[in-house]
Amino acid sequence: MPSDQNAVLADVASMLRSVLGDFGDDAEITMDTTFRDDLGMESIDVVSLAGRLQARYGSSVNFALFVSGLDVESVGELRVGQLVEYIADSLDKVPAGR
Amino acid sequence: MSMVRANGVDLHVQEVAPIGEHRGTVVLVHGMTSDSMASWFLTLVHPLAEAGMRVLLYDLRGHGRSARPATGYRLDDFVDDLEALLAHWAVTEPVYVFGNSFGGTVAFTYAARHPDRVAGIVTIESAPPTATWFARMARRLARAAETLADADVVTHSRPLFARRVRDASALLAETDIGEQLPASALPDPAAFTAITCPVLCLYGADSAVQELAEETARLVPQSRHVVVAGQKHTLLIKAPDQVRAEVLPWLATRVH
Repeated sequence: MPSDQNAVLADVASMLRSVLGDFGDDAEITMDTTFRDDLGMESIDVVSLAGRLQARYGSSVNFALFVSGLDVESVGELRVGQLVEYIADSLDKVPAGR
Repeated sequence: MSMVRANGVDLHVQEVAPIGEHRGTVVLVHGMTSDSMASWFLTLVHPLAEAGMRVLLYDLRGHGRSARPATGYRLDDFVDDLEALLAHWAVTEPVYVFGNSFGGTVAFTYAARHPDRVAGIVTIESAPPTATWFARMARRLARAAETLADADVVTHSRPLFARRVRDASALLAETDIGEQLPASALPDPAAFTAITCPVLCLYGADSAVQELAEETARLVPQSRHVVVAGQKHTLLIKAPDQVRAEVLPWLATRVH
């Protein structure tokens, strides 16, 4: 896994632990972790990442676009790795010097 | 997570900026009990931003990741929350208010209160606050309370799953929404004649809510009504393509 993905995964894992609160303390979070089946997250938990992602990455990561292809059911099947890859790709596309 | 204190309650909010030129502002209001801003976020937020809209969302009090006070669940409390949030967001232009189910009822009530502040209304599977509609909501709340009490027992052994059920059942178990909301003071039906903005109402063909369309059309005569075949009350989350196909062209003729 590229090093930038490792850094993004660490960021995302820390956001997820804070979303999950006490329930997230023991949860192992890897690229293969699914939001619903592994973390018990509801769609609102996934959506509540939007504000944290915006605070961390600004407008370079368009989270609304990322989730707009998903419906309320498939958002639960999402893997952490899919979000991490999307963030890493989005950050790669930000023109140098910005 | 972005929390805002509005009308005395901590509400979970999100804002998505328009892509390109700003053409208008829309606030999205979700429905009762198991609903949250997620049903809007996953379906319409990005297309609305692409249409040049500043998109504002929140979880209703007691719902999603907003605070869950033990009391304060009358219709007017929900409308006061919307009013306080629009002040927080410093919205000065007339706003489009979209509401799913009970969210549409909040939209109609807010518009009756402040007709000059609303540019347009879109409702999905909803109605203004009529006695018929509130009687239905009372029955739905009672049924939801029974279902969730059963689910609680089944899932308590799995902590991460218990968390999901906990949030939905806590609203019904730990607050008085089941009693207070159905007992809300309803606006005088004449108040709805103040609403002169364009109104689009969507229904699922297999949902009983469309039986309320006739009364809505009488109260808000300019409202346009569209029935989507093969859909039930879950129209927004089950048929987002059809919802977008109705809402986006409707909006495009009004904001440009």
